Amino acid sequence: MRRALVALALAAALALLVPNPAVTEPGGVEAIVKDERGKPVADAVVSLTAAGAPAPLPRAAAVMDQQNKEFVPFVLPVAVGTPVTFPNRDNIRHHVYSFSPAKRFELPLYIGTPAAPVVFDKPGSAVLGCNIHDWMVGHVYVLATPYFAKTSPEGRARIAEIAPGAYEARVWHPRLKTETERTTTPVTVAAGEPAEVAFAVALKPDRRPIRRPAYEGAQGN
Amino acid sequence: MGLHFHRFRSRLVVVFLGLFALIQATGYVAVSAFVRASARHTVDEELRLASTLFARQLEVRTQQLVAATRLLSGDFALKTAVATSDHATTASVLENHRRRVDADVLMLAALDGHIVADTQGPARRGAEFPAPRLLAEAEAGRDASDVVAIGRHLYQLAVVPVLAPEPIAWLAAGFAIDDRTAADLRRLSGLQVSFVTGHDAGVVVHASTLGAADRATLARGVAGARASGVLDLDGGEHLVRVEPVGRDAVVVLQRPLAEALAPYDRMLLILLTVAAAGVVLALLGAVLVARRVSRPVLTLARGARRVAAGDFDVAVSVSQRDELGELAATFNDMVGGLRERERVRDELERTAKLKRFFSPQLADALSAGDESLLASHRRHITVVFCDLRGFTAFAEAADPEDVMRLLHAYHATIGPLVFAQEGTLERFTGDGLMVFFNDPVPCPDPAARAVRMAVAMRDAVAGLLEEWRRRGHALGFGTGIAMGDATIGRIGFEGRFDYAAIGTVTNLSARLCQEARDGQILVSEPVYAEVEALVEAKPVGALPLRGFARPVTVFDVLGLRTEPAAPAAGEVTP
Repeated sequence: MRRALVALALAAALALLVPNPAVTEPGGVEAIVKDERGKPVADAVVSLTAAGAPAPLPRAAAVMDQQNKEFVPFVLPVAVGTPVTFPNRDNIRHHVYSFSPAKRFELPLYIGTPAAPVVFDKPGSAVLGCNIHDWMVGHVYVLATPYFAKTSPEGRARIAEIAPGAYEARVWHPRLKTETERTTTPVTVAAGEPAEVAFAVALKPDRRPIRRPAYEGAQGN
Repeated sequence: MGLHFHRFRSRLVVVFLGLFALIQATGYVAVSAFVRASARHTVDEELRLASTLFARQLEVRTQQLVAATRLLSGDFALKTAVATSDHATTASVLENHRRRVDADVLMLAALDGHIVADTQGPARRGAEFPAPRLLAEAEAGRDASDVVAIGRHLYQLAVVPVLAPEPIAWLAAGFAIDDRTAADLRRLSGLQVSFVTGHDAGVVVHASTLGAADRATLARGVAGARASGVLDLDGGEHLVRVEPVGRDAVVVLQRPLAEALAPYDRMLLILLTVAAAGVVLALLGAVLVARRVSRPVLTLARGARRVAAGDFDVAVSVSQRDELGELAATFNDMVGGLRERERVRDELERTAKLKRFFSPQLADALSAGDESLLASHRRHITVVFCDLRGFTAFAEAADPEDVMRLLHAYHATIGPLVFAQEGTLERFTGDGLMVFFNDPVPCPDPAARAVRMAVAMRDAVAGLLEEWRRRGHALGFGTGIAMGDATIGRIGFEGRFDYAAIGTVTNLSARLCQEARDGQILVSEPVYAEVEALVEAKPVGALPLRGFARPVTVFDVLGLRTEPAAPAAGEVTP
């Protein structure tokens, strides 16, 4: 539900902020991400970069909720410079931090939504943690391109409304074994039917060191 | 001989004692072996229990260590310091946290396995993490802990990730396993405890309750075989159990066998004392038995020696009712038999001697000890006197050799005839001879015997005399026989006794002998009356004899009737 909202917001941002020279007949990319065993990979971020000059980035704010002592969404892809708010929807405090080079910040114990959003001004991934809930892990993936989408549980991601032309498609995932750069796949976008891109990626085992305790899950909504 | 029996006795004692000692020794050895095996088993069991206990204790300690390390790794300040690559602060936080949990070492390794900070000193920064395998395990999400040697020191090490919230580094915390740890365990278990790593030549004893020399021995022993066994350390044999406490490390538990055997030593001492007392008693018993056996044997031997020396007056007294008693009884019987035989032989010898001088009857009676025969008594006897006619003249004229030769031949001829008729030869008087019958042994027909003897003598002597007559010697043979009562008994004096018959009958027969011419056998009337049926005789008439008041009717026996038929009445008139 929330993801859908975010996607809508993104779409709106794209529509408003990106002046597209070939707006008359936009194309799209339909990407599918599977792991080595052919299972669809959710929460992968597929992005396209145009061969030419960098496209203008959307500036719309994004939201990373803390809900039921989890980060929601698990993966939040944003364009460089996006301010992200961290609303705490639980009735206890959280202490959100990131030591990632992409964005180092700390929101010491707070309730509600901090006044100032965190602006992610460098591309890369920021791993989010909560100092008092070891199992809480979230990812903000900061991209230098406006063309990106996150895969659904079926492993599908659609990047629509883009000008036809030559692009490079890449995929990122929190457990991706290789560098994202190495997933670079050329793709040509034509008007009308979306171009298909398929990624088969190797993932590290899902090993979240400390799972959320069962009783914690029973709390909240 | 005596020595031999002493040897026999000693041998008996030695064999008896030897057997007893052998049994005792076997018993002792068996019990000792059993006790030793039992003690070993006990120690083995103790070691096994102790090693189980240690393993469990170590496990608990490991869990505590892992928990403590995980707690430390969750510290936000630490995470911050690590994430910001603030190495000096990181090291300081590590030192602080080390003190919090009272660990001996705290290390922080980067994800690439190099040490970022180490409480052992800043010099270790950048070094390879000493237990990379633990990092791999931690990365795989498992509890990573092991006993790890870092240099000469041994640590119980736990590795956990520093999560932010994904791993950004590895935090390792360690408790030292040192001599103090070993000493603590020794206090707990009473065992010698050593912690060892490595194989073969690379065996290192990191911590131990043992002395330096024993550590070296232990290292050699453990290098040999990583199993339980026996090691010869200071203080004797130690039973050893080797139990792994990590991938490369083992705890070696030892207990001196002597310590486990100590409670049994007292028992063995008692056993030994009992055995020794048993041997002494057995010695006494053996000596007693040997003496009991050898004493009758010695007694028998003494008896046998006396018998060998010719003393048959021996009776060994053995009161035992066993084989030896039987042997003694048999010995006594044997000696009795020997004594009897000796007695018989003596008697025969004596009789033979007597017979040379006395008539066989008298000799027999005398040798039988029947001295009563020699006592004076009266008996109706028949007396025979005989001698050679012309012997005095011959003895004067002839060579003494010839005289003796004649006498010898004469006696040799008539002697057997005396014995043949069982006459009692009373005396020789040169050529004369006096024989009587019916004494000392009574006979039913003394007169008949006397006459038969006289006839036989006359016939035998006639042949002998014929030869001498041819050589010119006028020799004849006359015989007189009378019958009547006589006093018979021993006469003479101490040193020379004779058995003599005294009485008229003796005189009469002597006179009749004097009267007889060569070849004549003159018998008195009573004699003739007795033998009338046996003989051919002719009356000689009544002869006046010196010493006799009245003439005596005499018959001349011519010979024995060839057919001893019933005498014809009236043929011979008295």
